[in-house]
Amino acid sequence: MNIKIRNTFAEITGASLAMIWMWLNLTEASLMTIQAVSKVLAQGIGGSIILIIALHIIFNILSSIITGQYEEDIDDERDKIFELYALQVSSAIFGISIVATLVLLGWFNLTIISGLIAITFSGFIASILSLLLKIYLYR
Amino acid sequence: MLKKKIQIENMVRKLRFNNNEMTQQQLAEEVGVSRQTIVAIEKYKYTPSLDLAFKIALAFDREIQEVFFITQ
Repeated sequence: MNIKIRNTFAEITGASLAMIWMWLNLTEASLMTIQAVSKVLAQGIGGSIILIIALHIIFNILSSIITGQYEEDIDDERDKIFELYALQVSSAIFGISIVATLVLLGWFNLTIISGLIAITFSGFIASILSLLLKIYLYR
Repeated sequence: MLKKKIQIENMVRKLRFNNNEMTQQQLAEEVGVSRQTIVAIEKYKYTPSLDLAFKIALAFDREIQEVFFITQ
């Protein structure tokens, strides 16, 4: 497994764990205030960033211990192209989900809390799908 | 008009071996890309930019058309 796939796995793991944590803390969302929901979402987003950085470091340390060599992470033109494809996919998914959420909010007269949760989770899902695309391209 | 897709092939792998059995890592470091990019180029999975193609040709001290060519 090369460093790019390893780092992408770290990002997927971090984002997934943050999503699960948020989901577990939002099971009673209908009874929660908007401040409490926003707090959980903000903590989840912040936590995912810290978790991803930590997992990057842990995965690379583990890889260095197992293989016995340090692999440098070089970003070249191929990585930039893959990054662009991933960005296109995540932007498309996130854009569509924002529009869908807004339409459904009005259509079914949902609360603003549901919209907030749906938009945050669609951001995470868009990010995870774009990372999966990157793994497919790097395979 | 050349609308049909063209297949660009290369001699990178052969040239590496003819060049004191240069490793993929050595070539990657010389042209400033990752080893995975050299692997992808050798397997024809990735066509490099003109800039990188020139750098690779220069690394072998060859003309670009000697390293990269089209197969009909």
